[in-house]
Amino acid sequence: MNIEDALSSRIRIKILKMLFKVGELNVSEIARRLNINYQSASKHMKILEEEGILQHKMFGRIRLYRLNEHSSKVKALRNLIDVWEHQDKN
Amino acid sequence: MSQGRSVFRDETKLDINYVPHRLPHREHELRLLREFFGFTLQSPEKMAQRVMITGDVGTGKTALSQRFGADITHEANLRAINLRYIHVNCREYKGSLFLVLQHVVSVFHPNFPKRGYSGEELLQILVQILDEENSHIILSLDEFESFVEREGSDAVYELTRLQETRQNKPQRLSLICILRNLEAVKQLDASTRSTLQSNIIDLEKYPKQQLIDILNDRVSSAFRPMAVPEGTVGLIAELACSEGGNARFGIELLWRAGKYANAEDLDTVTPECAREAVSSIIPALRKSDVATLSLHEKLFLLAIAKIFKESQKESLSLNEAEQTYAVLCEEFNTTPVSHTQLWKYLKNFSSLGIVQSKVSGTGSRGRSTTISLPRIPAHELEKELKISLSKETEKS
Repeated sequence: MNIEDALSSRIRIKILKMLFKVGELNVSEIARRLNINYQSASKHMKILEEEGILQHKMFGRIRLYRLNEHSSKVKALRNLIDVWEHQDKN
Repeated sequence: MSQGRSVFRDETKLDINYVPHRLPHREHELRLLREFFGFTLQSPEKMAQRVMITGDVGTGKTALSQRFGADITHEANLRAINLRYIHVNCREYKGSLFLVLQHVVSVFHPNFPKRGYSGEELLQILVQILDEENSHIILSLDEFESFVEREGSDAVYELTRLQETRQNKPQRLSLICILRNLEAVKQLDASTRSTLQSNIIDLEKYPKQQLIDILNDRVSSAFRPMAVPEGTVGLIAELACSEGGNARFGIELLWRAGKYANAEDLDTVTPECAREAVSSIIPALRKSDVATLSLHEKLFLLAIAKIFKESQKESLSLNEAEQTYAVLCEEFNTTPVSHTQLWKYLKNFSSLGIVQSKVSGTGSRGRSTTISLPRIPAHELEKELKISLSKETEKS
């Protein structure tokens, strides 16, 4: 997927910002925090996972998503969001 | 709030949640705990341990467990051993195994969902997390009674026999159960009891001298130098001793007395500040008690109150009280009663809980009686007696 497609969604950007902040979450919680439905959250998470940006771990029936810290895309995104958010505050 | 300098240097050292680096008079028990859990610093995966700590309120159970937890995890870190100590107050979690386990899981995964699984699944999830992190935890279940009361034998059994369902796998969970006494454990079935009761550390009540040492320890870290005189520490220790050797009560009283000293812009925490503090917790002076006293009882008690108010002493002798009483009798134009009668009055005051009296052992010069006023501020007692006496003189 091209970068313009991967980052073309406000929801995906919000998911990334949230996970950079809190570390890991399950789909229901992400949906609740973003005030969107479960299916929508799940769809965006899947896209990010396919891009290698997110990874998940199963605990029984619970699926927790987190950023794939080994991915260079994640490092670049972290940097981008850091700079952006910091600039916003100034 | 005081406008002047505070008597405190660092009042957080008197906070209920503060765990001191040194636990006076619990050194032996701390060593024992280290012995029981010594294996965690060698090969934590090879065994699991269960220890019970029992003792009354304020005997240092929680502090002992937390000090041990902090020390052992520090030591484990130095040796690159993945060991965690997790302290849970079961009452805060309504005695529920599910909520306790949820808290433990949240230590590893703070945003773990709160719903969507059963208690049994949660236990398996915890084991999975511990396996993945190659971690051993010492789970300290404080106020274990509420856990037993709510969950009964099955939950305790599940925790203690966790390993039986995963033979030949690394051991992951050790337990410290903290409770007042073993009564609650008697409710458990025999097999569950037998898994728990092998290692028991029972904490005795602190006697007065030990309470003095504990309070002095806190005084040196929480107050400015010389801010708390020996007499005040002695008085607070006496009070904590009468509350069942309750060090927590003593430490809280120390803090409160410091607050009274600050509020009155004093440089030192006087025994009177401690009396103010205790009377704010336990109202000890009943006006009806004062009203029922005879004229001479009131005069004698007034003499005691006056000495304490003016001298800031921790205790006084019966002779001193008798001399001041004689002066008051002159003021009130009445003949003093005998020494024996005063001694009887003193016994009555003690039984009413107004004063405490102690007879020293026989020496070459005979017995002597010391009087202390631990619970009632002297100025408050004096005020109450003066009102009562003025009513009495008005009548006559």
